[in-house]
Amino acid sequence: MKQLRTAIVLVAIGGLLTTAAFLMAFFTAEVQQFGTVTLEQEVDTVFPVAPDQFQPPAGEGIAYVRPWFSQKIFYFHVPVAEASFLVLIISAVFAIRFLTSKRAEFDTKSRIAMETALVFVVLTMITGVLWTRASWGVWWEWEPRLTTYFIMMLMMIAYFVLRNSIEEEERRATYAAVFAVVAAINAPISFMITRVIPSNHPVVFQPGMASSNLLPFIIGQIGMLMIGYGIYTARMTEERLRERVEIAKEALEG
Amino acid sequence: MSSWRQFKAILKKDIVMELRTKEMLTSMGLYALLVLVVYYITLSQAGADFEVRRIAAGLLWLVFIFTSLLGLNRSLVHEKDQGCLEALLISPTDRPVIFFGKAVGNLIFLLIVEALIVPLFFFIFLARPGAQAGGPVWMLALALILGSIGIAGVGTLLATMSVNTKGKDFILAVLFIPIMFPLLLAVVAGSAAVLQADPEYVRTFWQMMGLAAGYDVIMLLAAFGLYEFVLGA
Repeated sequence: MKQLRTAIVLVAIGGLLTTAAFLMAFFTAEVQQFGTVTLEQEVDTVFPVAPDQFQPPAGEGIAYVRPWFSQKIFYFHVPVAEASFLVLIISAVFAIRFLTSKRAEFDTKSRIAMETALVFVVLTMITGVLWTRASWGVWWEWEPRLTTYFIMMLMMIAYFVLRNSIEEEERRATYAAVFAVVAAINAPISFMITRVIPSNHPVVFQPGMASSNLLPFIIGQIGMLMIGYGIYTARMTEERLRERVEIAKEALEG
Repeated sequence: MSSWRQFKAILKKDIVMELRTKEMLTSMGLYALLVLVVYYITLSQAGADFEVRRIAAGLLWLVFIFTSLLGLNRSLVHEKDQGCLEALLISPTDRPVIFFGKAVGNLIFLLIVEALIVPLFFFIFLARPGAQAGGPVWMLALALILGSIGIAGVGTLLATMSVNTKGKDFILAVLFIPIMFPLLLAVVAGSAAVLQADPEYVRTFWQMMGLAAGYDVIMLLAAFGLYEFVLGA
């Protein structure tokens, strides 16, 4: 039960930190000029069209001023997204450890990490879609980052579909581990793609950021990782209890 | 037996079985033809001035991705139902050799189907009077080969997993299509560049082929390394 208490404490502190980051984003963070966003056609937003010097050549779309509050989501959306990448990689690392050692505990750890990662991916999707609507005037756009991230979500759902369709425990664990490793290859691709292919998705986190922006971001990131570790620990505790119940059941029946 | 002879034996087994039953090529070829018929239904509603060439690359790869799903599943179901995979595992064959034997077999069948479907697709949908000319054929062939290598490599790994699950075909599609996504995007963009032959298409083409080749290398290495675990389970 000690672990469950740790989990609750972690989630509570993480919640406080992310809330603090959220408030700091509104009260202390300085508003940065990120420039404009170019959309293919006129859209229905309340945001002003950018001045003439920012407009692309005729026929290549319309530049809009990026609304000041669309920056605020940065302190929530980016920590969640980075936590999702990180937890997915951790899941793949556990998967490799399972494949090399064949110990069932690593399979459980890999699965729980994948569940946690999926929670973060869904949160990223929700916050991302809200941001897209505010900033680009559309709910969804098939641009590199969004597309690769969406595919990553589909892979993680497929991971659980795969698990559910195999009865034998060892085979299920092995196949799931193999698929987790293959799926994790997509995480760095999705992470790096906005830095390689030009896209509307901003790369905000870069050198030379003001400390009033960096501080709430780091607090939010730490808080998010604590929440992630808290969820993971809570689920692991539940899994261990379930195993003990199974063993007790078998002992009673046998 | 040396690895090379083991590899040849596995490949020969697949080809001899195909020559006797003709099951995979007929089912894959027929399925691809049926998809072309469905394409006709779709495109017949688009009007005469609709430029099929602009979406032709996507349509072409759509046929191959679904046909390969069918073929990969068939190829591994045979191995499992007739106990061939178990026999291979008992025999002193190296595990990586099994992977390459099966993958190259699947690649050959896929390339045969592509060699049949691409000309047919061209004559049905693209060869219209006054149609614009595309790039050279060897470029399209290169895109097809790079795409097929990735499909056969990753597909063999995933199909070996999916035949041992409850919902064989469905599971294969769910696992295979997301994993294939980056490669598909690259080869569709590359093929589209060749088919449309816009100015400066050669640069786009080689960029996309570079991406596809890089993906092939990464995924083949991953599949090669992981196949042993899949067979062992």
